[in-house]
Amino acid sequence: MNMIPLFVAVPLAGAFIIPMLSRKFKWFPDVLGNLVTLALVIMSFAVIGKSGVYSMGAWKAPIGIVMVLDGLSVLLLVSINVIAFASTLYSIKYMEQYTSKLRYYSLFLLMLAGMNGVVLSGDMFNLFVFLEIASVASYALVGFGCEHEELEASFKYLVLGTVASTFILLGIGMTYGSIGSLNMAQISEQISQNGMNNALLFAIALFIMGFGLKAALVPFHAWLPDAHPSAPAPISSMLSGVLIKALGIYTLVRFLFNVVGVDERLLMILMVLGALSMVIGVMLAFGQWDFKRLLAYHSISQVGYIILGIGLGTPLGILGGLFHLINHSAFKSLLFLNAGAVEYSTGTRDLQELGGIREKMPVTANTSLVASMSIAGIPPFNGFWSKLIIIIACVQAGRPVFAALAVFASILTLASFLKVQKYVFFEKLKEKWNDLREVPALMSLPMVLLALLCIVMGVLLLPIGNTGVLENINILEPAVKVIMDGTDYASKILGM
Amino acid sequence: MIYILCLIFFMVGLYGVLVKKNIIKIVLGLIIMEYAVNLFLIMLGYREGGVAPIISEGDSITEFIKHSVDPLPQALVLTSIVIGLGVIALMVAICIRLYEKYGTFDITEMRRLKG
Amino acid sequence: MNLIIYSISLSIIAGIMCLFIPKRTRGVAETLGVIVSLVTFIMTIMMFGREFVSKWFLIDNLSRFVVMGIGMFGFLIVLYSLKYMQGRDRINEYYAYLLITIGASIGAVLSNHLILLLVFWGVLGLTLYMLVGIGGSDASSTAKKTFIIIGGSDVIMILGVAVTWVLGKTFIMSGIEVSVNSGMSMLAFICLAVAAFAKAGAMPLHSWIPDCAEKAPVSVTAFLPASLDKLVGIYFLGRISMKMFVLNKAMGQMLLIIGAITIVAAVMMALIQHDFKRLLGYHAVSQVGYMVLGIGTCSPIGIAGGLFHMLNNTIYKCCLFLGSGAVEKRTKTSDLDKLGGLARFMPVTFVTFVIAALSISGVPPFNGFVSKWMIYQGIVDLGRKGDKLWLVWMVAAMFGSALTLASFMKLIHAVFLGQREGGEKVKEVSSLMWIPMVVLAGLCMIFGVLAFTVPLEKFILPAVPGVSFTGLFSPSLVTLMIILGVILGLIIYMLSNFKNIREDSLPYIGGEELPVETRVTGVDFYRSIKDSKILGGIYRAADKKSFDIYDVAKRVLNYFIGMLKYLHSGLLSNYVIWVVAGILVLLIVLMKGSI
Repeated sequence: MNMIPLFVAVPLAGAFIIPMLSRKFKWFPDVLGNLVTLALVIMSFAVIGKSGVYSMGAWKAPIGIVMVLDGLSVLLLVSINVIAFASTLYSIKYMEQYTSKLRYYSLFLLMLAGMNGVVLSGDMFNLFVFLEIASVASYALVGFGCEHEELEASFKYLVLGTVASTFILLGIGMTYGSIGSLNMAQISEQISQNGMNNALLFAIALFIMGFGLKAALVPFHAWLPDAHPSAPAPISSMLSGVLIKALGIYTLVRFLFNVVGVDERLLMILMVLGALSMVIGVMLAFGQWDFKRLLAYHSISQVGYIILGIGLGTPLGILGGLFHLINHSAFKSLLFLNAGAVEYSTGTRDLQELGGIREKMPVTANTSLVASMSIAGIPPFNGFWSKLIIIIACVQAGRPVFAALAVFASILTLASFLKVQKYVFFEKLKEKWNDLREVPALMSLPMVLLALLCIVMGVLLLPIGNTGVLENINILEPAVKVIMDGTDYASKILGM
Repeated sequence: MIYILCLIFFMVGLYGVLVKKNIIKIVLGLIIMEYAVNLFLIMLGYREGGVAPIISEGDSITEFIKHSVDPLPQALVLTSIVIGLGVIALMVAICIRLYEKYGTFDITEMRRLKG
Repeated sequence: MNLIIYSISLSIIAGIMCLFIPKRTRGVAETLGVIVSLVTFIMTIMMFGREFVSKWFLIDNLSRFVVMGIGMFGFLIVLYSLKYMQGRDRINEYYAYLLITIGASIGAVLSNHLILLLVFWGVLGLTLYMLVGIGGSDASSTAKKTFIIIGGSDVIMILGVAVTWVLGKTFIMSGIEVSVNSGMSMLAFICLAVAAFAKAGAMPLHSWIPDCAEKAPVSVTAFLPASLDKLVGIYFLGRISMKMFVLNKAMGQMLLIIGAITIVAAVMMALIQHDFKRLLGYHAVSQVGYMVLGIGTCSPIGIAGGLFHMLNNTIYKCCLFLGSGAVEKRTKTSDLDKLGGLARFMPVTFVTFVIAALSISGVPPFNGFVSKWMIYQGIVDLGRKGDKLWLVWMVAAMFGSALTLASFMKLIHAVFLGQREGGEKVKEVSSLMWIPMVVLAGLCMIFGVLAFTVPLEKFILPAVPGVSFTGLFSPSLVTLMIILGVILGLIIYMLSNFKNIREDSLPYIGGEELPVETRVTGVDFYRSIKDSKILGGIYRAADKKSFDIYDVAKRVLNYFIGMLKYLHSGLLSNYVIWVVAGILVLLIVLMKGSI
């Protein structure tokens, strides 16, 4: 499996080559940035269904640093790289509003390398390093505009993010102190042999908080509604679409399910955190008038769904959660790209100032309709299926209260997206938008692609097979299996 | 005992982040927190009277392991210091830009994003 | 099986194709719409004689006449739209969503798998949203409100489906039989019923219908809220309460209460409306009350009455809305204050409208009477079984019926009789628009006069086993008597002296006092109701939307959201405090057992 390190190496190399060569050629960052992400998309499709371990420097698992590819990583890799490709495509035109494309692409690829590294690494500290790479790049990208709001958001994000990182590092220290190893497989083996102790529990709390902050779970969410709207649109779509999932949800799930091994209490914590985020996020979103801030609050709420689904701990719940994860990365990125397109054309993202631009920007309007209906859970779009599974799983697991909360949040989601549709795209066209133009083709192309993805994912990944629930899903099923197998993860990695 | 000192050190940093209004002081608080953690990591690998974990030719491995301190935390701390450096550089750069825009270091006046 | 798939997919695929027809091309979408809806109608007729059960689909006695109704209304509405929608924007989209709606409704009614049902059900909401939105830029908030209520109830339905699945262990509807006795089963039934209520428009989820009627294109209102949504919604209510769940007494009572409140409250609101279409919208809500009441009686004849009323209601309500559309097309307004005296200019519209109005008011020999009469019998049955409140339901139903008649008196006076402001001449609408109305009015008569031989025998009674008629009523006999009476009246009229008839009388407006110089519009007929003390207060509250679940929920939510927004004050230290507090709570929870 020589491909595994390439997922990190290629974007990392790109990130360094771009600033070196683009002083000479102006077109260079665009071309290389897109080539790199395209290559990554192809690579990630090539590894679907595969798994493997790569040891750096040929040291074997417990001693050397390993990178692990399994079902869960593949799922994340595919969604990360597809969204990254859509975002870079979109950036070609969009980023012309900003000054330095070279730094932009460089940071972008750095962030991408960090994310790919996080989902591939099989070692706690390595994971931390990649997580920090991605985070630092994202701090810088949030503040890319260098205006009042951008800087303020970036600073707040930085402070909270650093607090989280420090806690994670502390947790790593604690784990190392009580286990004596940082390889995830070995930690897991040790825990299952020797059981928990207080230091480990303390570390678990620290990890939940740290990864929870990266995933923007309530009450650790406060940075997200500031940071995500302030970034340039393609970055917002990366942040909301995949960064919070790779850095937050993936790490949380990997650590709790595969390394520690969940019990009732941990599952309950996950469910409560998920339900809290779901409800509070959507309520705050409902009251927003800033297009992107509204979307950002919805990210909190949707992450809540994912965590709730996974936190149920049943196969159906995990399936729903993971399905919602990839669905959310498709439609939420699309929505941020839409918001960016609206801002690009009109220069504002205040819902009350906009109105009726449907006739002027049909592509943006229709793709955003698809995305809104997806996130609101309207059939036949993809969001419907995952919400359906999550709600059914909640009831099946004997937790109707959480199911009811999910229903409540879903209604509010629908309401707030209808609000968006109404204020931005329907209603009467305001006079000042009379000579509005649709965004350039290079910007509408990724939007159309993602909208198609929203439709196709709903239809093709039909999750209800003839006999069982897990049929027909060739990318979700291995991921669900990885989580369900729990701490068996260890023996697989060490055995290879 | 030494861990408790680390913890106090950590709390001092956290206090800075929580209470101080000046963004530079907040940054300093973060730095203190980070170094508290670094110190903690170093302490984990330390053993009294240990030697530096550099193996030279002719040493017996078992003897060496008995006496040397654990090298892994040191490696971790080195990496973490490097990361910390990057983060802090970015933070300070943003502080400067913030000062240019807002004309103040007071975090309570940077409240354009709320609700 | 193939027939089912063809009938569903044909119109959905045609609809999707319409979406991609270039804007400039005219006529393609219309042609496609007429052909496809006709073919679908024929297919639904072909389905009529069959029985079919599979994992995914089901044709049984209950669903097949509903499907036929959908096919018919689809075709008639497309026909009507040809002229009505002419010259509007976004025609292609309109036909696209119309066709998808037909396909999805057929799918919803025929599906035997709960998940499949959910999909079709949700698609119906989506197309309704888009169709209402076509009404123009003022319709956007109505579209939003409609879809929030409909879509919201869809999600509640998901919960219901989930609970039903856990209780019944299967998604196949024909294999589910749950008796409502535990909390969970009540939850399941209520959740599913909520979806049916929202779609059909029973209180308290009714508030989108009047708004929709006012703002959306009339053909859309006639198609969805007035006919298709009623058919689908009440069909589903019938299916869950007859076949999937065995209701206990509390659930039956709930249905009865909702039905009674809906009947009376909605018709009271209808009395005071000033807008033609909005008034009809409130009636559309009120009639749902009868159906819910009928099903809530849990006695065979009551349920049969409810289902028959559903069928009748779609016929006459569709006819009424189409009539209002015809009037609007010609006069460009739907404000009752500005209409009047149209009977002379639009005779066909007038006659069909009167027939439909008499039907909805439950005047024999039209169809509305028969179904209402069956519902009354159901209530009497309920009384015999020992329900002490049966008189209340009876009074509510009869009172509602009387008020319906009263409000249609006002409406007919205001639109077709009376005097019109300005008073310029208008033409009758084109034949493409009045043919559907005539067909529907004809159906009103046929279903009334031949109630037992045609609709009940063929459609309703097979669906509801065990109906026994207790009272004596023969519609044909009654019709004969009425016709005799009318002829007698005519003879007397002929024989009497023509000269005694006053040509120009002072307007009589139901005993209300009115300044002499004012034009009588009919709007003021029942104004004094609104001025009375107790009712006036209720009406004022209703004007402030205190009874609209949508607005009430919005107010409550905004209060909480305000609090949450206040918490997000932008102060960094607050955010850090949350983080620290969060970690402390986590620590306490995690370490609780172990220290």
